[in-house]
Amino acid sequence: MQPEQARKSEREVDATTAPPNGAARESMHNSARGGVAAASVRSLSKSFKGTMVLEDINFDVGEGESLVLLGASGSGKTTILRIIAGLEEPDTGSVHLHGRDVSELPARERGVGVIFQSYALFPRMTVEQNICYGLRIRKRPKREIKETVERLLALVKLEDHRRKFPSQLSGGQQQRVAIARTLAYNPQVLLFDEPFGALDAQTRVRLRREIRTLLRQIKVPAVFITHDQEEALELGDRIAVLNAGRLEQIGTPDEVYNRPETEYVATFLGAANLLLGVAGAGAIEIGTAAIPAVEETARFREGQAVKLVFRPEDVRLSETNSLAEGARRLAGGIIEEMDFVGAYERLTVRLDLIARAHAEGKPHLYNVTINTSDRLTGVPILVTRPKPDAGAARFKVGDRVTVGLMSFRVLPNFPLASERGGKLYDTGR
Amino acid sequence: MRHVRGFDVVRPLSIATMVAIMLPLVLLPLASIFIFGTSQGLGSFWAALTAPEALFALQLSLVTSFWATVFNVVFGLFASYVLSRYNFWGRNAIIVTISLPTAIPTAVAGFALLLLWGPYGTLGRLLAPHGVQLMFTATAIILANIFVTFPLAFGVIKPVFDTMSRSLEEASATIGATRWQTFWHVTLPSLRGAIVTGALLTFARAVGEFGSTILVSGNLAGRTQTAPLYIFAKFNEGQVEAANAVAIVLALFSFVIFSILFFARDWLDTE
Repeated sequence: MQPEQARKSEREVDATTAPPNGAARESMHNSARGGVAAASVRSLSKSFKGTMVLEDINFDVGEGESLVLLGASGSGKTTILRIIAGLEEPDTGSVHLHGRDVSELPARERGVGVIFQSYALFPRMTVEQNICYGLRIRKRPKREIKETVERLLALVKLEDHRRKFPSQLSGGQQQRVAIARTLAYNPQVLLFDEPFGALDAQTRVRLRREIRTLLRQIKVPAVFITHDQEEALELGDRIAVLNAGRLEQIGTPDEVYNRPETEYVATFLGAANLLLGVAGAGAIEIGTAAIPAVEETARFREGQAVKLVFRPEDVRLSETNSLAEGARRLAGGIIEEMDFVGAYERLTVRLDLIARAHAEGKPHLYNVTINTSDRLTGVPILVTRPKPDAGAARFKVGDRVTVGLMSFRVLPNFPLASERGGKLYDTGR
Repeated sequence: MRHVRGFDVVRPLSIATMVAIMLPLVLLPLASIFIFGTSQGLGSFWAALTAPEALFALQLSLVTSFWATVFNVVFGLFASYVLSRYNFWGRNAIIVTISLPTAIPTAVAGFALLLLWGPYGTLGRLLAPHGVQLMFTATAIILANIFVTFPLAFGVIKPVFDTMSRSLEEASATIGATRWQTFWHVTLPSLRGAIVTGALLTFARAVGEFGSTILVSGNLAGRTQTAPLYIFAKFNEGQVEAANAVAIVLALFSFVIFSILFFARDWLDTE
């Protein structure tokens, strides 16, 4: 089917099946997740001057849910936001708000609230005037405007600043005005474009909490855009990780952090160790070492190249051969470096993983030379230990340890979603 | 030069030199208008100023400048909007063309208008049979004013459009405003300073315009003679007091506009 036809037929379906807007929202309240999504995008693609910036993006935002689009700059996340808002047109694909196809509507008829990175408050209007702008241009009665402004000023706690101009407010206050300004016209979805980009680290953390609390209060679905993984983990009910215009994974913070589907997701969200190996019978072989993994290897055929991905904090070290309960033995190793970084201790451990019979002309998989007279073999991994653990078992550089893993992921040996055979859809729902 | 402790000799010398050069170049000529104008007593100054032809000339200057200013602001906004918001083939050529009159001698500008709109001009020839004669009327003066001053208004307004954050207009659109509402409530207030500045510059320049006006107006006393033309005519006739009275008014007028531009700069600059 041609894209045009596809879009058209989808609209027809919507027109017949979707209840009117208000009713849709009402029913969504009861059914929580599932049913009609508050906002959904379907097969969005977009290219600028011949380069693909978005490729077949699909996701839903549930009623009252907050979804974070996480990605580095240039990943296409801002473009998605602008397409939802109607400020940019996709090449193909559609945007639905509460079941209604709004792809053809201009920005002003979509009823979405955009909180711009710079807040985009009207500089010549006071806080009050900014907030009531949406109602004023809709020509609502004076009393309604006044009541709404009062309610919103109280909601964002700016009653004492109502007559100030944006330039007289702090960054956080400006942001609250920007939010109140959109809430005035009951937006179907709130879109936050890098909401904390312009703020210092401390304010950022505080505002994050404030917004989270506020969103829980008002129950308006929200889409956030950020490149900050910490922000994403804290703000999102779900996180969509974008890379080079493709959706790598979408899921709850727990899912994307603890069960990354791709190497990109694993390394973009926090630190991750990565070892190349081969799926064996009930184990992953990495060089001469092997770690038991019955469940994890089930989806791979024997001999398939895989990656073992694990977080520094999931590593357990022991001077003896006995590991902490639940940890699976990976290999032995030598402590090469130790740093104390406040709340935890960071170690570099060089694993004894001698490569199997080295083939002529092929690079050594695990031979690493560092600047010493000795030629060391093995792979360094990063390990972090919280203070109590570090205190209970003290190590020094050069100690031999046994390395075990509490949890890990086994991924096929493709680094990116774009290299996978199949397409990724929402794994979290 | 030796530097004496606590006293830099170069400093007072430099200041004195600068003032000494400035005096005969700028300050003394201006002062002499006032000195001469009041030397015969305020009575004769007043009489010279209230002569019907003098009043008419001043009035004509103000009226023609006013309409040129109105046009410049309205069309300046429109042209800036189009040229700043839309990218199209030939856009840069248009921007250059609009700014070109700043570099063209005003006499050439007046002459060019005559060649186009004059009775035997390219377009004037078509209008003449219908009894329409634009040249040698107040309309001609307005046309000449626009030709000469439009780059001033455009040059002030367009950069503000260019640097204005698009997100303000986008925010307004997502909130639900039409293009017109956005322009009226969001864009225009941000242009306040540029509009006032552009209008004042246009007006000040148009009131004093001589070179193009003298060609297109016909310089008919009491009909198409503007204040600068009046000064020139009276001086040629040897009526120095008459010329001087109007010159004082024009000088004062430009002081006022300059003061506004200078002292209200912060207010005008604020985005």
